[in-house]
Amino acid sequence: MLAALLLILAALAGAPLFVVIAAGAMIGFHGADVDLSVVAIEFYRIAEMPVLLAIPLFTFAGYLLSESRAPQRLVRLTRALLGWMPGGLALVSLFACALFTAFTGASGVTIVALGALLYPAMVEEGYRENFSLGLVTTSGSLGLLFAPALPLILYAVVAQQLGIGGPISVDDMFLAGVFPGLLMLTLLAAWSFWSTRGKPLKGFNKGEALSAIRESVWEIPLPFIVLGGVYSGYFAISEAAAVTALYVLVVEVFILREIPLKQLPSVMREAMLLVGGILVILGASLASTNYLIDTEVPSRLFETIQSLVSDKLTFLILLNLFLLVLGTMLDIFSALVLVIPLLLPVALGYGIDPVHMGIIFLANMQIGYFTPPVGMNLFIASYRFNKDILQLYKATLPWFFILFGAVLIITYWPDLSLYLTNRN
Amino acid sequence: MQPDLLRQVFGWLRRLEDLLLALLLSGMILLGALQIILRNIFDSGLAWADPSLRIAVLWLAMLGAMAATRDGNHIHIDLLSRLFSGQGKAVSRMATDLFSAVVCGLLAWHAGRFVYFEWQDGSMLYAQVPAWLAESILPIGFGIMALRFLASGMLQSHQGKSG
Repeated sequence: MLAALLLILAALAGAPLFVVIAAGAMIGFHGADVDLSVVAIEFYRIAEMPVLLAIPLFTFAGYLLSESRAPQRLVRLTRALLGWMPGGLALVSLFACALFTAFTGASGVTIVALGALLYPAMVEEGYRENFSLGLVTTSGSLGLLFAPALPLILYAVVAQQLGIGGPISVDDMFLAGVFPGLLMLTLLAAWSFWSTRGKPLKGFNKGEALSAIRESVWEIPLPFIVLGGVYSGYFAISEAAAVTALYVLVVEVFILREIPLKQLPSVMREAMLLVGGILVILGASLASTNYLIDTEVPSRLFETIQSLVSDKLTFLILLNLFLLVLGTMLDIFSALVLVIPLLLPVALGYGIDPVHMGIIFLANMQIGYFTPPVGMNLFIASYRFNKDILQLYKATLPWFFILFGAVLIITYWPDLSLYLTNRN
Repeated sequence: MQPDLLRQVFGWLRRLEDLLLALLLSGMILLGALQIILRNIFDSGLAWADPSLRIAVLWLAMLGAMAATRDGNHIHIDLLSRLFSGQGKAVSRMATDLFSAVVCGLLAWHAGRFVYFEWQDGSMLYAQVPAWLAESILPIGFGIMALRFLASGMLQSHQGKSG
């Protein structure tokens, strides 16, 4: 008990989370008289999961794209294609950010790379300041449910290695995220449409559209390579990642020459910093999860919760609230590897499909990014746009309620997630 | 004289790490793409490619984590540290660094024993590659992270005293 308190204190004081998790596993195994080399053996399982190959490759592709002028081209392209519609630039922001986040996974990157382009453009076109701020901050985590976003891959990996609830593949998660992601996008688009009603429309400019398409001609095939390759079954996930990384590398470095060869090692280093950070947490959590399962913590947790909460509906409401609070404190990756091994067995006990559970979890964590008072994206946006944090709380509030509504729909309508996966 | 030599060794180690990172990632991209071409066009493949790629993920993870330790850029909760300032921040940073150094040191020690057992066993990963070689990044990586956390913690205590 004392050890647990000390660990929580260390985590709150800012010790790296992988250190806290590894320390917890070692204390647990030591108490159970298990040789501590088990922690290293469990950690080594990182090298036994082929799908993990996708994580460094997609992350590198995402970093390379954000270092090039691809964000500018993406904004120009979506603006030329969607800017004429009611809601104009707001729609552009939503779509561009969702697409970009799907590729970069780590959503802080989206606010920095795209928000910095979109926010001034919106203010310039006469959108209200708070509307624009709220939109850009919210969009920063939009797209986490679309392939090939990292959290979808990581959830499948973590759920699969628990070995409960039948097979859960990355493909299932990629398919399950489509409709819930579109639901979020549609609701936010409707709200943008309504808030900006009465604004004069801009005409569709065919010349600009053609020239924007020509400018982005190298990046336009990317979503098709990834999604077409994966959904058609032509590529495995890790192969799609290798092709994407190679394609982006060749295009941005050798064809468009926007990233000098000399700069490549530093982009690689930046990307691998994030990958290393995520994978050591995963490795440490493999050990801690093994300990928790050995000591039957998940099944005891389930019994405790079931004696308090009898029906599925109440459980789901409590789950939504718990994840909302969790999302404000932990980043999506740490929360995933720490909490899913505990929560998934409980959710299965209430008859929730593991793939649906994954989508509920990720959708909840997505709004945790900008839930006051400590959502990470609020601070990134406050810093990036030089606005007071209180103004951001206010600006994001309507967006928060819309997405919370979307999360509730996603939670209580399993078929929305499961329809494409043939699991319903 | 000695600190200069130490700094030189650290600088050399840093460049080696960054070089390894870039080489591993580049190799991974090329080998992964090559496998797809071989499989789809020539209906064949390199038997050693898949296990090598999986080991490369582990090495990348450890090298990335070592780099994150060097930059003080690991994923952590940023709640309490926002409340502290000046001296308090330095003290809490020193405490978490030293704690991390101890934990990583223990991880390195036990990973080292794991690698030693495998070496004694003489188990092979595939073909001519012994398992202990692939696993050796674990004790090396955690060992270097422990030293880095220790150095960072001591730096904090130094700054805390002078400031």
